[in-house]
Amino acid sequence: MIPNTAPAPADETTTAAAVLPQTPGQSAAKKFAGSKLFGSPASIAGVIWLAALVAASLTAPLWLPFKTEDQDFTAVLSGPTAAHWLGTDELGRDLLSRIFASAAGTLGTSMITVIVAVGLGTLLAMLAAAAGDRAENVISRVTEIMMSLPGTVIILAVIGAVGTNIPLIMGILGVLISAGIYRVMLGQAKSLQSQLYVDAAKVDGMGMAGISLRHVLPGLTNTIVVQAALIFAVGMLIQAGLAFIGFGPPIPEPSWGGMIQGASQHVYDAPWLMVPTGAVLALTVLAANAIGNALGKAPNATASHLPSAAARRQRAKSVAAIAAAAPAPKDSAKDTLSVRNLSVGVDNGVRLVTDVSFDVEPGTVLGLVGESGCGKTMTALSLLGLLPSGVSVAEGQILWNGTNLAAATEKAMEGIRGREVALISQEPMRALDPMFTVGYQLTAAIRRLRGTGRADAKAEALGLLEKVGIVDAARILKTYPHQISGGMAQRVAIALALSGRPRLLVADEPTTALDVTVQAEILSLLRSLVKDTGMSVVMVTHDLGVVADLCDQVAVMYAGQVVENGRTDSILDNPRHPYTLALLAADPHANHAADMPERLATITGQVPQPKDWPSTCRFASRCQFAGSACTVPVPLLPSGAGDGVVRCVKADELAVVGLDWVATDIPARHVLSLSETRTVEKDHA
Amino acid sequence: MALFITKRLLMALATVLVVAVLAFLLVHAMPGSPGAVSLGAGASQEAIDEVNRRLGWSDPLLVQFFSWLGAAVQGDLGISLIDGRSVSADLASRLPVTASLAAGATLLSGILGIALGVTAAVRGGMVDRVIGGVAGMAVALPAFWIGIIFVYLLAVQSSVFPATGYVPFEDSPQDWALSLALPVITLAVGGGAFIARQTRASMLEALQQEHIRTLRATATPTWKILYVHALRYASLPIVAAIALQFIQLFGGSVIAEQLFAMPGLGQAVQNSVSTHDAPSVQGVVVIATVVVVAVNLVLELATKFLDPKLRAS
Ligand code: SF4
Repeated sequence: MIPNTAPAPADETTTAAAVLPQTPGQSAAKKFAGSKLFGSPASIAGVIWLAALVAASLTAPLWLPFKTEDQDFTAVLSGPTAAHWLGTDELGRDLLSRIFASAAGTLGTSMITVIVAVGLGTLLAMLAAAAGDRAENVISRVTEIMMSLPGTVIILAVIGAVGTNIPLIMGILGVLISAGIYRVMLGQAKSLQSQLYVDAAKVDGMGMAGISLRHVLPGLTNTIVVQAALIFAVGMLIQAGLAFIGFGPPIPEPSWGGMIQGASQHVYDAPWLMVPTGAVLALTVLAANAIGNALGKAPNATASHLPSAAARRQRAKSVAAIAAAAPAPKDSAKDTLSVRNLSVGVDNGVRLVTDVSFDVEPGTVLGLVGESGCGKTMTALSLLGLLPSGVSVAEGQILWNGTNLAAATEKAMEGIRGREVALISQEPMRALDPMFTVGYQLTAAIRRLRGTGRADAKAEALGLLEKVGIVDAARILKTYPHQISGGMAQRVAIALALSGRPRLLVADEPTTALDVTVQAEILSLLRSLVKDTGMSVVMVTHDLGVVADLCDQVAVMYAGQVVENGRTDSILDNPRHPYTLALLAADPHANHAADMPERLATITGQVPQPKDWPSTCRFASRCQFAGSACTVPVPLLPSGAGDGVVRCVKADELAVVGLDWVATDIPARHVLSLSETRTVEKDHA
Repeated sequence: MALFITKRLLMALATVLVVAVLAFLLVHAMPGSPGAVSLGAGASQEAIDEVNRRLGWSDPLLVQFFSWLGAAVQGDLGISLIDGRSVSADLASRLPVTASLAAGATLLSGILGIALGVTAAVRGGMVDRVIGGVAGMAVALPAFWIGIIFVYLLAVQSSVFPATGYVPFEDSPQDWALSLALPVITLAVGGGAFIARQTRASMLEALQQEHIRTLRATATPTWKILYVHALRYASLPIVAAIALQFIQLFGGSVIAEQLFAMPGLGQAVQNSVSTHDAPSVQGVVVIATVVVVAVNLVLELATKFLDPKLRAS
């Protein structure tokens, strides 16, 4: 009967990080996302119902048609009539009057539970977060014991001792529930406590209590309100349940649970009696839950890697549309990847990748380079049809061996993934299933992709692991992913990608998450794999060192576009786009020791959000060379170096003048000697 | 592993002890001395004092507690003040009723909840919204209200099931099952909804994990990703939710037992609280705690078994 008070999981995927305040200066009111309250019809209805109920119950003496004890013997157990809108009970008492006369008491005493449970739980959580590991251990142990008590039985025993003193009982119930609230709050309170500005406040000499009140409590506001709403519902249900089994307010006094108990005696002759009280109780609980769920909803949940059936149907439709729109793929050379005018967009229309084209010849490596937020990963994932849910190819073609992968059905993609095009992801630990051994994952893939039998698959798995440079392959097969190092896990992930003998490998920042020494090993492994197998690679990276090391071709991406594309040596030696120039200037590995500048340049500002991408040059807001000529849409034009292309109106000028990206915060106009009268505003100006 | 189990066992023991003390204190705070309760209204003060003396009521609390505890560990929970029967024997006869009720309801909630939760997460769209809506309703409706509606629909209107009462398994397995049906279904409505929500959330979280993408990239069939890999990843919170459900149902069976007139522990605690039968109250509290603590222990071992990270350490 005592419902659990762990967070109601369905709608509470809010992680601590998601609700953390951005800056300490925000007011508590801001952190409490009140707007969410009116974001869903259910919670609006909930707020209206609760407000109406409170208003009606507080004013009940003024408008109720009958006294709670008035008996109308002419209408016993009647249904709704003109005189008794909701009918009457077995003594002819008016249900409407009894329901609303007892509403104030029910709501009020449920609030006691809320205040005690949430108040105590929050207090304990803040205390545990502030007072260090020792105190936290003690509090956690105590709450653990509290949570493993049979709550209902204890509450009944308390009733035995103190009688049916409803406010007191609801308070004790609150104490029992506070343990669950503590558990919900602790993680969040701890992460708030470890914020930098809390350290700063400590240095300033602010006391523990001050920090908790000023910095931790405001950050917990939203969770507090969510939990309060949910516990309110719990309190009401428990209170009604107690009244139902006879531990409600003393007899003639009405209570919702008691009225339902009375009604249950007449379920044979007057089933209607069940309806009004049950409905009011259920609606009130629903209202509180709706409010809690609306407030507790995570702002933007992470996208699923396997969209639901409904989402897959949706996607199949848009793929069919693309297939219909695209011209029939012309026969391309074998194992050549040809991406043409690819656009990838969120389902609400915002484009993350626009009009991207590139080719990858068999046995070569293409680097997709740029900062995060430039659409590299989305481009890479679209090659496998593995865009996260809510994101899809909007236009364009991905031609591979005569098929347009952008228009291929899921079924067709299943035949291509692993067997022709394989993937290595950024974080090897997260790319492997933590619940299964390396051996299971690898042999399952080998059996599936190579059609090998069980016994042979094991031998092939061993062979693959040795091929990716794992010495004690037999032992690694038996381990779980968490038992091996990051570098080892990436080797396993590479082996997994190789299990279908793919012709194209898509590698999404395969070394970024690894230690520097391990990075070099993985890179050299990839290099030798390319040489041995003759497969092509699309390598997503932000590291120009990796590009220089491994790639034959580079496509530099900025804000969803390719801004420069060409042979690696010509682009690194002679960059034509200011963004490429800036990346080179900012990259310690890409600068040769001889011409290493005294200090590395930075690119001020950030890649703009996709919804803010202008129709003019997208780099203009950060470009040191931006000028009035840059306020037009810029096409991708041949750069003059081989088959290279570049997207900058000043590419030729820059090539002639040979400017450097300067490592200062001095606004560009002081540096730029080109005769520009006007400079685009810098965001640091 | 041995160390882990020892630690947990000690913790469990501590919990039971804490509850025993708590129960003892609560019972002593009950109005009326045992003599007055047992002899009822109209008994002479001498008679009451005589009973109190025999029960050691005026001894120091510590002495009383330890003599109760000493008997309790040997399985003797004292004698009911109302009918003079052994509390242990009474509870022993009631335990199977509540246990079958809670186990049945947990089983049904688990099956329903996992099926619906997985369906909602996997199908998405309309199906997800409908299941979500129904589950939302189901957790908001009080069990006793649902129970009465079931009685009305299934027992009164169509007499598919007996409306009330309990038939022991030994008497007739078939009638036992029939007598359990309505209470079990009643409790499984809310329980199933709770587990369905947890399952849906855990499945969705599992599908957000990056290894799902790896599985797709190696052409793993969708059914295998969903029902082998994602469900396996989601199994930990789901198992926890089911255990929690059992604990709640075990403690919360009092309403179902009252509604369906079943002679279980819930009914015992309700009766003994109403009649101030101190030893019975104390006994039920301790028994319920032992069961709950035991289930938690099993849950923890199950979690340790299910999670490779914990299993290895
Ligand atoms: S077009 Fe202008 S703003 Fe854009 S990169 Fe070239 S110089 Fe900079």
